[in-house]
Amino acid sequence: MSFTHLHVSTAFSAHYGVSWPDELAQAAAADGATALACTDRDGLYGTIKHLKACMAAGLDPIVGVDLAVLDDDGDHRTQVAGRVVVLARGHNNGAGYRALCRLISDAHARTTGKAGGAVPVALTRAELASRTLDPHTLKPVLTVLIGPDSDVGRAMGGRRYLRPRTLFKQWLDAMPGGTVVAEIVSQLSAPGSPLSTAHAVRMLRLAEEHHVPAILTNAVRYCAADGAPTADVLDSARTLKSLPELASEPLLQPTGQGWLKSADQMLLLGKEIIAAAGYGAADLKQLMTQTEALADLCRIDPASDMGWKQPVVPEAAVLGISQEPHQELVERCNAGIGRRFPGISGAAEKSMVSRLEHELGIIRNLGFSSYFLTVAEVSRMIQDMGVRAAARGSGASSLVNYLIDVSHVNPLQHDLIFERFLSQDRATLPDIDIDVESAERHNVYRRIFERFGSERVTLMSMQNGYRARGAVRDAGMALGMDDGEVGEIAKQLWRFSARKFREALQEKPELREFAGRVEQRDADGNQQLDLLVDLTERLDRLPRHISMHPCGVILGDATLLDRTPVQPSGLGLPMSQFDKHDMDPMGMLKLDVLGVRMQSAMAFAVREIIRIHPSKDEVVAAGRHSAGSDGSGPDYIADNGHIDLNAVPLDDEPTYELIRSTHTLGCFQIESPGQRELIGKMAPREFNDLIIDISLFRPGPMKSDMVRPFLEHRHGFAPEVYPHPDLKPVLAETHGVTVFHEQILRTFDVMTGCGLAKADEFRRALSSEEGEAGVEEYFRRKAKAKGYSADVVDKVWDTLKSFASFGFCKAHGAAFAVPTYQSAWLKTHHPEAFLAGLWEHDPGMYPKRLLVAEARRLGIPILPLDINLSKAEYRVERIQSGPDAGKLGIRLSLNGIYGLSTTELKRIIGGQPYESLADLRARSKISKPNIKRLAQLGAFDSLHREAGGTANRADLVHHLQKLQASGGSRKGVEVLEGQLSLPLGDVELRNITPELPAPTLVENVRAELDLMAVDVSTHLMDSHRPLLDRLGVTTADKLLGLRNGTEVLVAGVRVATQTPPMRGGRRVVFISIDDGTGCVDSVFFHEAQEKAGMLLFGTRLLLIRGTTRRTGPRGISLSASMAWDLSRTETLPFPDPAAREQDVPHPLDGISRSLAITGFNG
Amino acid sequence: MGMFSESVDVLCSPEGQPVSLTWGGRSYDVCAEPMRWYERRQWWAEDSRAPLGSGPGIVDHEIWRVQVLPAPDGAAGSNATEEPLTLDLSRHIRSGRWRLLRIHDALRPRTA
Repeated sequence: MSFTHLHVSTAFSAHYGVSWPDELAQAAAADGATALACTDRDGLYGTIKHLKACMAAGLDPIVGVDLAVLDDDGDHRTQVAGRVVVLARGHNNGAGYRALCRLISDAHARTTGKAGGAVPVALTRAELASRTLDPHTLKPVLTVLIGPDSDVGRAMGGRRYLRPRTLFKQWLDAMPGGTVVAEIVSQLSAPGSPLSTAHAVRMLRLAEEHHVPAILTNAVRYCAADGAPTADVLDSARTLKSLPELASEPLLQPTGQGWLKSADQMLLLGKEIIAAAGYGAADLKQLMTQTEALADLCRIDPASDMGWKQPVVPEAAVLGISQEPHQELVERCNAGIGRRFPGISGAAEKSMVSRLEHELGIIRNLGFSSYFLTVAEVSRMIQDMGVRAAARGSGASSLVNYLIDVSHVNPLQHDLIFERFLSQDRATLPDIDIDVESAERHNVYRRIFERFGSERVTLMSMQNGYRARGAVRDAGMALGMDDGEVGEIAKQLWRFSARKFREALQEKPELREFAGRVEQRDADGNQQLDLLVDLTERLDRLPRHISMHPCGVILGDATLLDRTPVQPSGLGLPMSQFDKHDMDPMGMLKLDVLGVRMQSAMAFAVREIIRIHPSKDEVVAAGRHSAGSDGSGPDYIADNGHIDLNAVPLDDEPTYELIRSTHTLGCFQIESPGQRELIGKMAPREFNDLIIDISLFRPGPMKSDMVRPFLEHRHGFAPEVYPHPDLKPVLAETHGVTVFHEQILRTFDVMTGCGLAKADEFRRALSSEEGEAGVEEYFRRKAKAKGYSADVVDKVWDTLKSFASFGFCKAHGAAFAVPTYQSAWLKTHHPEAFLAGLWEHDPGMYPKRLLVAEARRLGIPILPLDINLSKAEYRVERIQSGPDAGKLGIRLSLNGIYGLSTTELKRIIGGQPYESLADLRARSKISKPNIKRLAQLGAFDSLHREAGGTANRADLVHHLQKLQASGGSRKGVEVLEGQLSLPLGDVELRNITPELPAPTLVENVRAELDLMAVDVSTHLMDSHRPLLDRLGVTTADKLLGLRNGTEVLVAGVRVATQTPPMRGGRRVVFISIDDGTGCVDSVFFHEAQEKAGMLLFGTRLLLIRGTTRRTGPRGISLSASMAWDLSRTETLPFPDPAAREQDVPHPLDGISRSLAITGFNG
Repeated sequence: MGMFSESVDVLCSPEGQPVSLTWGGRSYDVCAEPMRWYERRQWWAEDSRAPLGSGPGIVDHEIWRVQVLPAPDGAAGSNATEEPLTLDLSRHIRSGRWRLLRIHDALRPRTA
């Protein structure tokens, strides 16, 4: 006998289910089941994974949902009466599945999509009833299970006989015939309590009385009994109450019996219930038979019911196409040739055309023409919006994409292989990713919804799972531990999976102190820490909630919402319950529209350049651009000064000089400490070098030591080696080292003659062990047949095997290298506008303050906040007077000041300029604390000077503080109306009595850090200078002059912390600090980590001892041996102990904004 | 009804049902079909570890409500006159240890 579980929550029931779909499916199959249901709470979050798991385990999938039903008598929008399970019937061409999707979307329709909304995910009974019949055939397509958590089940407690009957009757009256069954569950709790056999008996009798079929389930939450404690912790996380609190209410499940019990156990359970009811063997048989009969009704055929693996794209008419789509695509490609390859002829034309025919042939055979047209349509739409957009990813390998303007990389020029993107052997919809300006991303989404219609578009979602920090916090809360204590522990957890917590305790120096406390438990009887570790491990990776995917948009035809349930996203636009893993199985076309801040920053810079230099001549002069063919400057600069970045030639020598200098902070992809080290060593000379650089700087190549041999060959320190002369054309561009996927494909092709499509299949197969064996056999056999020696075959196979999984797609590299080059070009020629763009859009990995320090290093004046000159964005400004007169500086923005609201900001900007404080108060109506903040930041200094006041900033702040204390709640006008119209200057400011000492530089910087997270007046390390001198610290700008291996002390504020995967699997920690003269990149190997311990992740200001490592002609870094917390002077290694006595105030004292200032929330 | 937690030795049938027990030096036989259910444990306070793969029995323990009569001790059978006692026993799933949780029918004894 087999048993079908019809009520099963998977881990995708966030904060409820414990087990993954494949665990459940495998367990069910092992027990002899032939079908298994997935009924996640509130949605189909785990359904597609369930389908996959069932198909792999040889089970028929059953799909359903566990939904809350609103109380008909209560407040209609918020009061939930109970929960029911709804199953879709199968083998009806999707009628059941369609109804289920729509039903779930209904349940979410009134929610806000924001956390903590007042409206629960729930349906009215009428809504539920209306979906149970197919609108066309009026046959039942959904079955509702009234079980222990329904209003009926919840009314079983106590001695109330009438209430459950009345409620059950209401269901029967409301629902169409044949759509309701009674769900009998006993989790063997104490007699009379919920989920007890006694309650199951009552439900069974109720069903009997009303002639409603009864079915048996176990309301499964975990695969095996072992999952019960995890379920308890999830209950705690969901309800935000500790386990002791929950137990006393009592809100925890009464027992730990909710696992996927075996068929035998379910039969015993059925027997027990039937016996307790006083029924006989025939009744038991009926219960079990009815369960299986319902299961049979609900078996789903993935293909005919859910459209499994059948790609769906928007209808041709929506794309504005009247002819056959493929014909349309061919015509558009032909039209693109003249634009992309002007004047092409001869052999070049012939090879281009044959490549085009090759691609079009594959696209036609796969039936993907409409897909390309859809992407082209979206891409065109974005560009028409005037938004910067560029395809990234393997889509850049396609000539078709280049010709229809989806991508801007010429695949022929960079030797990119179409088969890496799409081939005959790969029938899944390919990924085309489009990068757009981040600031415009939401507008682009809205436009796509408008363009295609909201019935054809939805956002993709993503699952957010527990990682170590969240897991330890929720485990701690479950145990009722002190928030502060758990928070301290969570802080030390840095980038490892929660599953390995106990292991990490043994290994990680920063956890040593905590590990000690765990071991102490016997001594002081505290078991909690040990349990905390176990529970944290249990939570690892479990889904917590879904959210809008950062870039995925799903496009379909008018039936899209029959195929995926949707719910509101935080953005207001609907979001699918499916994530990226569900797209391909469900045949969904997903477009990645990525918001790239660098694109916004560059667009901003280009606009600033025009604003400051409104003509071609001025731009050419300011940027020191070449005179061009006719002496009027290059063609990519328009007469009005607009620079077409995409048209800038990729061979600008000054740009490569800047890159080689390693002063690449702010440049796309090459600003990280590791990248600066790599470009220092590599010294790029041309665009292809950038492609290689970006492709090398990946975990795989770094880990497997591809970089060193590459550099040695590149610089001619070692001769290039090729395994066989035949491979020289394939590997020459990377000096014999395999870097790109494209090279792997060609190597396969050259040595086996397998063709590039097959080669890409092989490359994919290499990522799994089973796949690898088959590929190896083929490769060895074919290569041998082609006459390659055993030696060569061995050697090449080793390379293929180890590099195939992580080599980088050259098309990706090429697509990335374009913005890398463009950003470096802007930094070289228009640094002020570029930095203003970076400050405005904050695209990089570093805290903004480091880029301010970079401006200071470049000698670009940073202009203070000014109530009349500062705007809502950073602006380049020509300096009118003073020592910097004539130079370009960057004026700070009023945006991003702590406490200042968007409305206040708008009013300030709208009212500029202001003559006086009174004028500002009257017209901008900003709050008193904000006026005081602006004063602290010096925004009134120039107004104050103009008024002829003799007091200083401290006096002004003091004055405002007095007003704030005395003035009550009234905002705005404090002076007589008449005064405003008189050009008297600012009487208020003029009359402030000077009495206080002017604020020190340290105080000003502290205010800046506190309110803007940026040190403007001077570098925040400057006040430490005397201390650092006494310590004998070397500054960043002096390091390059030192010999390799010199021991030094360096000090600065943390700006980057990274733990990239490294060769041999041992963790290496990179910490970069900024000391005002530049960045020092230090690396902590194992021993140094041991010594530094908690300082590694816990401090903002660091003193580091280490030895210099020269990394290239212009690069130097530090191999650290020890670190200190600079703010704890008593611990510092002063050569002269007497020196430590003098303590100075520091800007960071008392400031808690660590993340914004150091880029690290340690 | 009294509440205890006292260790008892229980003999079970092959199906796991209690058949007889020894408590306070006396033997008792189970004289009616017992009832079985599960009750929650305060595992977060009682256990110091709950690693993945611990298996069943962390969250709940088995409760058996049995009716027992003193076992006939040899020849003299005063058995027939005695009324059965109702006891709640708990079995800790992981250790298999039995404890006596409650004695019902507290109206009954006291004379002897």
